[in-house]
Amino acid sequence: MIKVQDLSKQFGSKRVLRNVNLEVNDGETVVIIGASGTGKSIMLKNIVGLIKPTSGAIYVDGVDITKCSSNDLHESQKKMGYVFQEAALFDSLTIEENVAFGLRTLTNLGEDEIINRVAHCLEMVGLENVEDLKPSELSGGMKKRAGIARAIAYQPKYILYDEPTTGLDPIMTDVISDLIISLRKHLKITSIAVTHDMKSAYKIADRIMMLYKGEVIFNGTPEETRKTDNAVVRQFVEGSSRGPIETDRTFKEMEKI
Amino acid sequence: MVNENIATIVRARRLVRKTAKFSSESVYSFFGSIGLAAQRTGETLLWILKGKISLKDTVSQMVEMGWRSFPIIFLTSFFTGMVLALQMGSSTANLFNEPVYVGMIVGFSLVLELGPVLTAVVVAGRIGAAITAEIGTMKVTEQLDALYTLGTNPIKYLAVPRFVACILMLPLLTAMANIIGIYGGLIVTVTTWDVPSGVYWNDILSFMTAGTFFHGFIKSFFFAFIIVSVACHKGFSTEGGAEGVGKATTSSVMISLVMILVSDYFLSAVLVALGVK
Repeated sequence: MIKVQDLSKQFGSKRVLRNVNLEVNDGETVVIIGASGTGKSIMLKNIVGLIKPTSGAIYVDGVDITKCSSNDLHESQKKMGYVFQEAALFDSLTIEENVAFGLRTLTNLGEDEIINRVAHCLEMVGLENVEDLKPSELSGGMKKRAGIARAIAYQPKYILYDEPTTGLDPIMTDVISDLIISLRKHLKITSIAVTHDMKSAYKIADRIMMLYKGEVIFNGTPEETRKTDNAVVRQFVEGSSRGPIETDRTFKEMEKI
Repeated sequence: MVNENIATIVRARRLVRKTAKFSSESVYSFFGSIGLAAQRTGETLLWILKGKISLKDTVSQMVEMGWRSFPIIFLTSFFTGMVLALQMGSSTANLFNEPVYVGMIVGFSLVLELGPVLTAVVVAGRIGAAITAEIGTMKVTEQLDALYTLGTNPIKYLAVPRFVACILMLPLLTAMANIIGIYGGLIVTVTTWDVPSGVYWNDILSFMTAGTFFHGFIKSFFFAFIIVSVACHKGFSTEGGAEGVGKATTSSVMISLVMILVSDYFLSAVLVALGVK
């Protein structure tokens, strides 16, 4: 289980996250939604240990990764896969080497087993005959899927997705959503996904949480999200330019013009 | 008129405040950057002392830095030796009516100064820029974060092989540059000034000692340290997309060049004081 307790993060004088609380049970998929700049990706990076929080605690299977030793942090990292927004595949390595990277650094598997595991993972994400290609030779959707293959290769217990469908066409978005559901179904992976894409969020989520100005303002099932009276959530899920979120931006000034 | 004066005073005070703020921020940023560079270099040295060096990656970097830099080092040092012989022959012919001590002047100039400094400058431009651009691009495309999530320390994975390769290859390239430059000088001395090759070699071997060679060789280790430390630090500190990578690369090369030329004087002074000359 992942438990985030009173998590706050501040960059200089700017508070990005304010006392965020979150619990993700084993086997569950939680989707974090929110407008750009509300701290969604920062929250994921805190959970995976890429950023140290200003205050608060993050428990991964009972271990507080914000205060643990580097060995314990390393053990926690072994349990987590991270799918980056732009895939973040290593340019200088082939797709096979990219997917095998975590297997070589985080496991003691033999070379034959690594090759088999890589082939299996690429097959799971629907990529064939790309082992020897470099990331620059793949399309955006293929890169995302290769990124997912790299994240699942060492069979982590948790996967964190940072905007897994951003920049993809609607069909490829659905393919990625199906892939996330399939991973939960077949590998029993617990997931936290950050997205702006409500169609994908409704499809993959067990629970949806909304961040607004660094705070959690909503936490509920997809059904509860659809029916909520919370004006901020309604505006975001409906994708409307008018509403409480609008007043925080520059629209008022635009109206004056 | 009074209003204009007040407005000017207000503007001036704002400018002074802004300048003071900018200066203090620049000073903090400067010392902060030096501290961070020292911390990263220290961490790199710690990994090396622990023996956590990937042989495969280090050899691949040595090929990139050494073998692939060789053609440009060959050209620069060969022509530097040739032009030195041409100029020295011409100057001494004017002064003494015949070209004398050309070998000695070419040898000393190359082995003590031009060999190590020119090689370091070429390597800073070629390798330093490449290291910063590669690590910087990895930083802005989240590849460094990806390394962390895959249980790999980016300094150990990226900086250590480059550090070891640069420290080993720059002195080697410098030694080659010295030899190639001396042969360049030999060709001009023999063909242009009609000085027998025996006289040229005698000039070199009579005046130069092992200390002369070590003077330049020792300096090249320090230059390698400067180039790779600055390049890695600038790469890891890159921010702001493609523009940031460009700025970091330019800054890396400029800082390396200035540090090489400035440190050259102080290193030479120390080595001369220690009798390595």
